[in-house]
Amino acid sequence: MNRFKQAVLWIGLTLIILLIFLSIYGAFIGAERAKVFFNSLPLSFYWIALILLLITGIWVFSRLIRIPGFLFMHAGCILILTGAVCGSQAGHKLQKKIFGVDKIPVGQMAIFEGESENRIALENSDRVRELPFYLKLKDFRIEYYKPEYLYIQNRQGKSWKIPVELNAEFSLGENNGTVKIVRKFENFKIKIEGDKRVPYDDPQPGSNPALEVEIKSPNGQVVTKYVFERFPGHIYPEDNFFLSYRRVISEYISELQIIRNNEVVAEKDIEVNHPLHFGGYHLYQADYDKQAGQYTILTVTSDTGLGTVYAGYLMLCIGVFWHFWLRHIFKAKKADGD
Amino acid sequence: MIYIAIAAYLLAFLTSMLAFIIRLFATSMLFGRIGRILYLFGRVLYLFGRVLYLFGFAVAVFAYGYRWYDVRHIPLQNLFEVFLCLGMICYPVSWFCQRFLRIGGGFADMLIGAIVLFPAGFVFNAQPQRLPPALQSWLFAPHVAVYALSYIFMAKAALQAVRQLAGKMSNPGEKLPPEEATYRMICVGFPLLTLGLILGSWWGKLAWGDYWGWDPKESWSLASWLVYVGYFHFRYMFGKKHPRINSAWAIIGMLVIVVTLFWVNLSQLFPGLHSYAT
Repeated sequence: MNRFKQAVLWIGLTLIILLIFLSIYGAFIGAERAKVFFNSLPLSFYWIALILLLITGIWVFSRLIRIPGFLFMHAGCILILTGAVCGSQAGHKLQKKIFGVDKIPVGQMAIFEGESENRIALENSDRVRELPFYLKLKDFRIEYYKPEYLYIQNRQGKSWKIPVELNAEFSLGENNGTVKIVRKFENFKIKIEGDKRVPYDDPQPGSNPALEVEIKSPNGQVVTKYVFERFPGHIYPEDNFFLSYRRVISEYISELQIIRNNEVVAEKDIEVNHPLHFGGYHLYQADYDKQAGQYTILTVTSDTGLGTVYAGYLMLCIGVFWHFWLRHIFKAKKADGD
Repeated sequence: MIYIAIAAYLLAFLTSMLAFIIRLFATSMLFGRIGRILYLFGRVLYLFGRVLYLFGFAVAVFAYGYRWYDVRHIPLQNLFEVFLCLGMICYPVSWFCQRFLRIGGGFADMLIGAIVLFPAGFVFNAQPQRLPPALQSWLFAPHVAVYALSYIFMAKAALQAVRQLAGKMSNPGEKLPPEEATYRMICVGFPLLTLGLILGSWWGKLAWGDYWGWDPKESWSLASWLVYVGYFHFRYMFGKKHPRINSAWAIIGMLVIVVTLFWVNLSQLFPGLHSYAT
């Protein structure tokens, strides 16, 4: 092995070791700061040096071309890094300068139910930019796992988990009586009728899930309690039970329409793991209005460089599996056949 | 059931160790009558150890199956379920290594099985949980499963590396010296580690909008992948000239995996998107 080849290998090994330490450092400083750190100018030089070294490696070491596994692994890494550079903030600026394509790298948008929006708040910036199309939120909804449960604990620490079924009576044992859920509220409110306070389910925007529960003691005395999902109740001296109402979210769904030139050109329900891809952008369910469920928050990311990264992933996968597994399996089968 | 599986793995380990010592002692008696009887006894003990190991595996499979039935999704959501899975796959990985790679380490595998089941039995919260929206993806199972499988191979590789550093030669019946065994094991585990990383990145893109977000778990998993990349490059540069350094790479790789799997999820130092996995 000549000196140049040795130098390439040593530089490669040094860059690998350096990236190990940088990754560990990135883990300690947290995702937000690490993202900024790995997109900083000194690190940009590192990434470019790594790409150039990989290209040099393929050029210098004929084995990297002769052995398909090696070629796929190294070319895959080049594609992943190139795609990542293209998709970065700097890559987008370069794309604008060279090709005149001005895309928004990443940002977030909030859309109210029944309204259309195309403005995006850019990430790590106070600036707002506009998408070349509008998004209309037809409806936003949260789905919960069924059944929902009412949790009950008595003063002796014994607990029960009761599915929320209206008017079904559950026994808590001889000494504790029975419990019955008589009403379920999505938006619990109280109004005054005469001199009485009357709870009701308010159809106006808002969210205050609650249950009305009747607890019947063994001596036949009935007590009504209200259990709120958001405000776990306190236990009063006269109470025998602590009650809590918990629901587990199964899905967030934003029903969206894409509008271009005042025409609906596409419709899709966005869920976590099911983003929308349109016009060179991916749109993701990111957050929502936790108070009233009236708006959704979407993350918008440009798809620049993504295809290259995915092609790199595929090549890397083919390379490692071919080199470390498949060629040995085929060789062994061939040997068995001979 | 987990406790039974741990006990079976530990008993299998102790029985096999005892069998090994008795057989070693018996062969040193140059096949006298007592030597032959002792050898036979050692053989019976060895078989008993294998049966116990198989029994432990069967119990672990049953425990995993029951957990699956109980939670109604593939049980890989939290550390309890991941370690239960690791305890279950030890036996098939051990069998695979003996059958196809000609690499032993049966005793050590029994001990690995008991060690990985221990936190599932005594440390982690076993409360069943519903899958949050982010985990409701077809990539969830393959991403975690290939990682779990690769971690067992890498753990076995690290044990072979420790044997190499301790100056052990291959056991009778094993064809490969520990350094070569380490290499072979890493060759099997590395593609799985790569696939786990790539599937995770793809899933991250679908769920969170970014294929690489520099989350602490992602950073540590990249570090562990890179340690093995470094191992291959170092071994390519120097071959078997520096076997101790080759072994050190394999051990460091396993240490970084332990941090990725344990510390990132349990420590307050690394808050991130993977914190639900505790």
